Amino acid sequence: MAVDIETGLQGVSRRRVLSLFAHGLLAAAVGRPALAAAPSPVVVLTAYPEEVMARFEAAFEQAHPEYRLRLLWRMPHDALPYLRQPRQGGVDVYWSASPRTFAQLAAEGRLQPLAIDRSGLPDHVGGAALADPAGRFTATEMAGYGFVVNDAALGPLGVKSPDDWAALADPRLAGRIVLPNPARVGFAPVLVDIVLQAYGWEKGWALWSEIAGLATWVDSGGTFVSDEVGSGRAAVGVSIDFFVVSAIANGAPLRFIYPSHGGINPAHIAITAEAANPEGARAFAAFVLSESGQRILAHADIRKLPVRPAVYSALPPDYHDPFAAAARGAYDYDGVASRDRLPVVASVFEQMLVQGHDTLAGLWARIHAAEARGRDVSAARKRLCAPLLSEHEAGVPNLHRRFRARLEGTQDQPRLREEIAWQWSAAKARAAVRRLLEEAGA
Amino acid sequence: MRRGAVLLALMLMTGGAVADDGVTTTERGRDAYSQPFPGLDAGEREQFVRGRSLFRQAWVVAPSRDERVDGLGPLYNRLTCISCHPKNGRGRAPDGPGSRMQAMLVRLSVPGTDPHGGPKPHPRYGDQLNEEGIPGVSGEGRAVVRWDEHEVSLGDGERIRLRKPRLSFHELSYGALAQVLVSPRVGPPVYGLGLLDAVSGETLLALAAERKPDGVRGRVNRVWSAQRMRLEAGRFGHKANTPDLRQQIAGAMVGDLGITSSMFPRQNCSEVQSDCKHAVDGGQPELTDTQLDDLSFYLAHLAVPASRDGDHDDVRRGKATFAALGCAVCHRPQLVTGTHPNFPRVSVRTIEPYTDLLVHDMGEGLADGRPDFLAGGREWRTPPLWGIGLTEVVGEHTFYLHDGRARNLTEAILWHGGEAVPARNRFAALDRQARESLLAFLNSL
Repeated sequence: MAVDIETGLQGVSRRRVLSLFAHGLLAAAVGRPALAAAPSPVVVLTAYPEEVMARFEAAFEQAHPEYRLRLLWRMPHDALPYLRQPRQGGVDVYWSASPRTFAQLAAEGRLQPLAIDRSGLPDHVGGAALADPAGRFTATEMAGYGFVVNDAALGPLGVKSPDDWAALADPRLAGRIVLPNPARVGFAPVLVDIVLQAYGWEKGWALWSEIAGLATWVDSGGTFVSDEVGSGRAAVGVSIDFFVVSAIANGAPLRFIYPSHGGINPAHIAITAEAANPEGARAFAAFVLSESGQRILAHADIRKLPVRPAVYSALPPDYHDPFAAAARGAYDYDGVASRDRLPVVASVFEQMLVQGHDTLAGLWARIHAAEARGRDVSAARKRLCAPLLSEHEAGVPNLHRRFRARLEGTQDQPRLREEIAWQWSAAKARAAVRRLLEEAGA
Repeated sequence: MRRGAVLLALMLMTGGAVADDGVTTTERGRDAYSQPFPGLDAGEREQFVRGRSLFRQAWVVAPSRDERVDGLGPLYNRLTCISCHPKNGRGRAPDGPGSRMQAMLVRLSVPGTDPHGGPKPHPRYGDQLNEEGIPGVSGEGRAVVRWDEHEVSLGDGERIRLRKPRLSFHELSYGALAQVLVSPRVGPPVYGLGLLDAVSGETLLALAAERKPDGVRGRVNRVWSAQRMRLEAGRFGHKANTPDLRQQIAGAMVGDLGITSSMFPRQNCSEVQSDCKHAVDGGQPELTDTQLDDLSFYLAHLAVPASRDGDHDDVRRGKATFAALGCAVCHRPQLVTGTHPNFPRVSVRTIEPYTDLLVHDMGEGLADGRPDFLAGGREWRTPPLWGIGLTEVVGEHTFYLHDGRARNLTEAILWHGGEAVPARNRFAALDRQARESLLAFLNSL
């Protein structure tokens, strides 16, 4: 093996050196100049998968050989305490898909002004803000929510491809819808909230109750949803887009449908207040937002939605363009308005619809069967659809404060007293529905 | 041609048995290396998915709220397993000095052996250059690859440029490397490993004992089993320096990611690396036995892509040529697995891996000069060829051999030396059409 090293052999005779070289051992530095000064490190804390990290790392270092990216990985709930350490754990850049974490860091004064050129980058897409008004963080990519469909599995059920959330409440889909559990899957709370905003609080929870009654759960991210649908065990899944669209780009026989009432989950980038290499951090943020950086997002193994509209003209015609969709009203969802209540929404969803799910599914099966026979079970339906608390109650700041620690990826935390109460209320509601159905002879 | 090669050629031309159902996939897209065995039951699917998550997991610096996946480093190469095995396929080498190692690592040792007969780790840098360190621990340094090129001629006058890596080391944090043996490696594909794990030591010894044409020998590497504390037949690694899949995984976890396990409970710090030795760990061990079980299950049950286009004329001709050149003497089309202690689905099957799992002298051109148990500096394990035809589809590149030097299959064949010289020379003497048929056959695997 031919090798040069900067440091020379020490204490080895010339004959021995030649012998080692002949057999593949290192030789002393043989006149090859050392590389230029070592690049200065830019420490990036992120929760992106390898496919994203490796491509941005290679492309950034190619574009900026004066810097070397050093990637640290942490889920958002774990990133927050890390960035609260002295000197913010040495991190220069935080880059992740967790709007709440960025908002929290900004509120705690842990981010510095980005101060990079945002020309060509809109501040909004539909109702979703893409930039912090105070300039401390900005979106670098987006993901949309929607439905993954296996046509081979859906066809025999006689169900048309869903075009919006209400289409999922079809009794023929019983047991063939797969949903991510919002209390355990980081991207899913927004997905629940999209429906609550789009249809209104009461009607939204009613819709979720009925859809949940037809569904099964996965407790991990989107690849598991596409696994279930791809295998045909489920005919329809609800997911964030990139897991599925990437699988499709890799050959999976699936379709992804963006619903009429969609939502956008932006990922952001920020420079820490105590960044040791603010110039390098700024160079990285600017690169991610540049046309070159934004084009990387379209790779088949990534499939995120660029935040730079100019990039879409060079992408395949079927590549989802959220700016165009927003112009048609598909992205009226206001993520900022709902941000603080997301942990509450996710927990209510779990206590109401995931816990005791077998019973819930059984009750919906009885309601659907009775309705098919023409029985009036509207009282039971109404009771089963009723949310556990009002929208006003879910918006109380004190409640938000108690749930604030529930960031993406949080699992298995002790239940709060409110959650125990909600679970009890949900059980009582199900018991009441059972009585109502018995009274109706259903 | 010698008699053995003729017999193999006849067997291939008449069409050998197809690998049994249940372990291959007909998927031929970019996820062709990521499919489970068909027919896994619900419990097996769950374990497969758990293992897949761990294989894709970016490991986290300890302490962390995600205790299940913390303990990265203190010294490491990359954050995830799939960094070096992208989409479960082969990694690629850096293009040049401006590119990171990414899917390549450099093995290190000094002359001599460890107490079990394996390579003797470098006293300061251990047995692998870990370029990265967690915060507070300096990475060991940087390896940079430059490529030296030369030209070779084929029989019909076509000239082919071959490239060979030249390594240099920079920013060394723990003193001089001085006397050191080095061997750059790219991550190999990881499908079908359960089936290879199930090939018995007796089978390997029998293969080694067979008389072979062209002066081909091949031998079983005898390597240390960390679990059973004895020397056993080597199956995994570019020099077959690891006896089984479980040890291969645990070794990579500690070597590449700095994740300890019950099999390798010590952090990868040398005596002079005091910050490394005092770094916070992610539990003892960091990878639980259950997690190691899940990873082992996942990798043992990744299906092998079924061969394609076997009815095409050029593929049929190429298959015959493959045997006639003598390639199949080492790249054995078929092996029979024994009884696997843990995974019944891989047991007692006829498989078509196109390897003998033996180490062979491959000549000075490929030599790294770094012995590894019985495998000498010129010896390498015959890499399996199954699935090789989908390399470009899956991995978006066509780089081959242990250090990714070959930019296509032709270059890979032309690098064959040592015991493979007769076969290599027969290939070089073929006309273009015959060479292309051979390549069509390889691309059908």
